[in-house]
Amino acid sequence: MSETRQTADDAQATTDSEPGGASPGTGQPLEVTSGETRERTREEWVEHEFEGEAKLSVSDLDVYYGDDHALKGVSMEIPENSVTALIGPSGCGKSTFLRCLNRMNDRIKAARIDGSVQLEGEEIYQEGVNLVELRKRVGMVFQSPNPFPKSIADNISYGPRKHGDLDTGLLANLLGRSDDDAVDELVEHSLRQAALWDEVQDRLDDNALGLSGGQQQRLCIARALATDPEVLLMDEPASALDPIATSKIEDLVHDLAEEYTVVIVTHNMQQAARISDQTAVFLTGGELVEYGDTDQVFEDPQSQRVEDYISGKFG
Amino acid sequence: MAGATESTLVSEDTTETEAVAAGAVGLAAVLFALSLAAMFELVTITDPVAGVPMVALLGGLLVLLGLAVIGFGVGSRLGYVATNPRPTAGLVASAAFALIWFVVGGLVASQTLGLGTAGWVVASLVTGGVGFAVSALPREDIGSTLPAGALAAFAGLVFLTGVIGPSWVWDLGWEQQASFNAEFTIPVLTGFCSLLVGWAAAKAYGGFGARGRHIGAYVLVYLNALSIIAVLFLLVAFTVLKGLPGLFNGFAFGAGAGPEVTLVGVTFSLPLSWPFVMNGVALLNDVNGVLPAIAGTIWLVIGAVLFAVPLGVGAAVFITEYADRGRFTQVVEIATNGLWSTPSIVFGLFGLAFLVPRLGNQKSLLAGMLTLGFMLLPLVVITSRESMLAVPDEYRDASAALGVTKWQTIRSIVLPAALPGIITGIILGVGRIAGETAPILLTMSGSVAPPGSQTVDVLGGFQFQSAPPFVTNPELMQATSALPYQLYSLITAGVGQSSNIGAIDEFRWATALILLVVVLGFYAVGIATRYYFRSKLQHE
Ligand SMILES: Nc1ncnc2c1ncn2[C@@H]1O[C@H](COP(=O)(O)OP(=O)(O)OP(=O)(O)O)[C@@H](O)[C@H]1O
Ligand SMILES: [Mg+2]
Repeated sequence: MSETRQTADDAQATTDSEPGGASPGTGQPLEVTSGETRERTREEWVEHEFEGEAKLSVSDLDVYYGDDHALKGVSMEIPENSVTALIGPSGCGKSTFLRCLNRMNDRIKAARIDGSVQLEGEEIYQEGVNLVELRKRVGMVFQSPNPFPKSIADNISYGPRKHGDLDTGLLANLLGRSDDDAVDELVEHSLRQAALWDEVQDRLDDNALGLSGGQQQRLCIARALATDPEVLLMDEPASALDPIATSKIEDLVHDLAEEYTVVIVTHNMQQAARISDQTAVFLTGGELVEYGDTDQVFEDPQSQRVEDYISGKFG
Repeated sequence: MAGATESTLVSEDTTETEAVAAGAVGLAAVLFALSLAAMFELVTITDPVAGVPMVALLGGLLVLLGLAVIGFGVGSRLGYVATNPRPTAGLVASAAFALIWFVVGGLVASQTLGLGTAGWVVASLVTGGVGFAVSALPREDIGSTLPAGALAAFAGLVFLTGVIGPSWVWDLGWEQQASFNAEFTIPVLTGFCSLLVGWAAAKAYGGFGARGRHIGAYVLVYLNALSIIAVLFLLVAFTVLKGLPGLFNGFAFGAGAGPEVTLVGVTFSLPLSWPFVMNGVALLNDVNGVLPAIAGTIWLVIGAVLFAVPLGVGAAVFITEYADRGRFTQVVEIATNGLWSTPSIVFGLFGLAFLVPRLGNQKSLLAGMLTLGFMLLPLVVITSRESMLAVPDEYRDASAALGVTKWQTIRSIVLPAALPGIITGIILGVGRIAGETAPILLTMSGSVAPPGSQTVDVLGGFQFQSAPPFVTNPELMQATSALPYQLYSLITAGVGQSSNIGAIDEFRWATALILLVVVLGFYAVGIATRYYFRSKLQHE
């Protein structure tokens, strides 16, 4: 193996010079430049030691969109009751990876998935997997907010009602078994968790499409929380939020990690550093380049490209 | 240079020329309205208005407008008026003017001057060529005003000089004795010329150029839209006016005025007597009515909707949400489109040959309902499918990600979001089937003028029994009438058969009016439902 990690000072000099050029004076060929690189990823960079059980373990996951190879041989273990951050430049496959974890990619015609994903040791890419059950356990918040054209309260209670956990139908009402109170409670609790309650408590019956972009984003978080999944996949859940709402969501994620397993995509490095226990860095081309303890990844990355990415030199 | 003013961000106050141009546009609009009124004989062209015959007034106004428009163009060209014209009026306008002047030249040469074929062809080509040249070659201000203004002034002069007067007739000399008379020709020409000068004046008002074109197009579109609405309104108003006398024949209002009815064991007199909608046709009736046909139409539509909507929406759900897109869905789509454009008489024949023999071997309300249901089905499938395809996939994804099954997603998300579109489809379809005559004639019709005793009472007709089929409804198996069919048969039956009915013409128009009211009533219900469901999907 010819690549060795260079010191930070070397790297600084590197990126200042031409891609692929030689360091002035030394004549020594340089390995690492901008995003395109000859650096090869190493197995041990994506190994992450942790205590406890792996909630999700992904191995050799390849995703193709038609001929487009969007994810290349990704393997990683996601520990239980923790926050895992996925970072990387736009288009590197973070959303694709996230969608693989609850098989939402099945819904995309062009997508083809190879490899294995196990939820608590059970393969989810095998015959006979009940997708409805899987998605109940692995919830998701999409990159772009997508509330239903229903009232705010109905958006929240939609999942539990359809699961049959709450019954507010006409028959239940007639039989006096309606869960109206439970619904109200659930709506309030979920909205409070998503830091939206104060803004919308007086307009719960208004259409959710009338909310602002950031409010819709938090509504979608609340909606996903209401179904009480074990794993929560969040695709940039704070991209449209102001600093206060963002920090509330970050607190929420932090609290959730006590009982839930959270996988969160973010473009905000500081956010990833603040809230996650471990961080996975995807780089252009759909490779998982580095995965490990968040502190280690941010303070002492093993890959030169990851270091460049984190320090804002590309991507 | 003339007209080459700086384009300004903020327009100054209205200038005098702009005011005059706006006046010309307004005058053209008035003229257009007058021509419409004359076309529908609301005003007669020979009637004097303020001492002047209508024709002369129209002619005078056209000349005035034509000259005014030419004045704008020339004034702008000479630099008296500040405008921003383009170098030319454009190919489309030039081609239109060439065509118009080609026709004018040909007509004048052949009809007025009496030239032979060669003569009028040459004359046409000359005038058409001049029309094209005048609009294409000079700058826009001349090119778009001169040919239009000249045409209006010319038409005005023709009216003023009496070349086309009130008694003018152009016999086309065909075997069928077709001819144009003044009552038709003068309004049409006036309307056309007023549109043309209105357009030119609007361009002048906007100072030509991009703004002028915008305003010109706006005036044209606006006048057209208004005239379409006016025509619709006239059509309805015409029916209403003609139908009202028959409709309210013998109408009485007040305590005890109406017939006695028994409801839940209590007998009382209705405070309203409305023979036309409460009676059938009978010898002893003071005033005859169409109650059986009204009931027939209403039940027909209800039955067809109840039959077609669940089936159609179900089929649409299957081909949109479950079936893979491909050959099969394409074939289904083509087939449904084809079925929707199938003539109704074909459906009627199908009903007669297939349904009637299987439903007691006689024409019946049920056979009519099913036949019209089959007619409605394709439209329900098409519109339901379209509106389900228009529901964003994000909703389906969001629902799936919450662990909700496909069917529940369809029921709770997709169908509610698609409902307004589905209802629009049903409204359109009901409008068509409620007015259908041919299928009713073949599958359901009873007597030409049914007596009141033949009114179907579907709700009251259910009979229960202990042996299969448990529920029967003889009312559904009865032949009955419907409004369009009754109207049709009244028109074709002639005086002899319907001698029971006194004033047959009044009766027919009143029937037409009732049909209109029934159809509009269904529309109103549909639109209110759609409004309700749409307001649930949207935020204000
Ligand atoms: N539905 C799809 N069909 C075809 N190609 C897709 C589809 N979704 C994603 N891709 C491709 O897969 C690659 C990865 O996309 P992905 O959405 O996973 O990126 P991302 O890391 O989430 O980017 P961003 O940060 O911008 O959200 C991109 O090159 C994209 O063009
Ligand atoms: Mg993404």
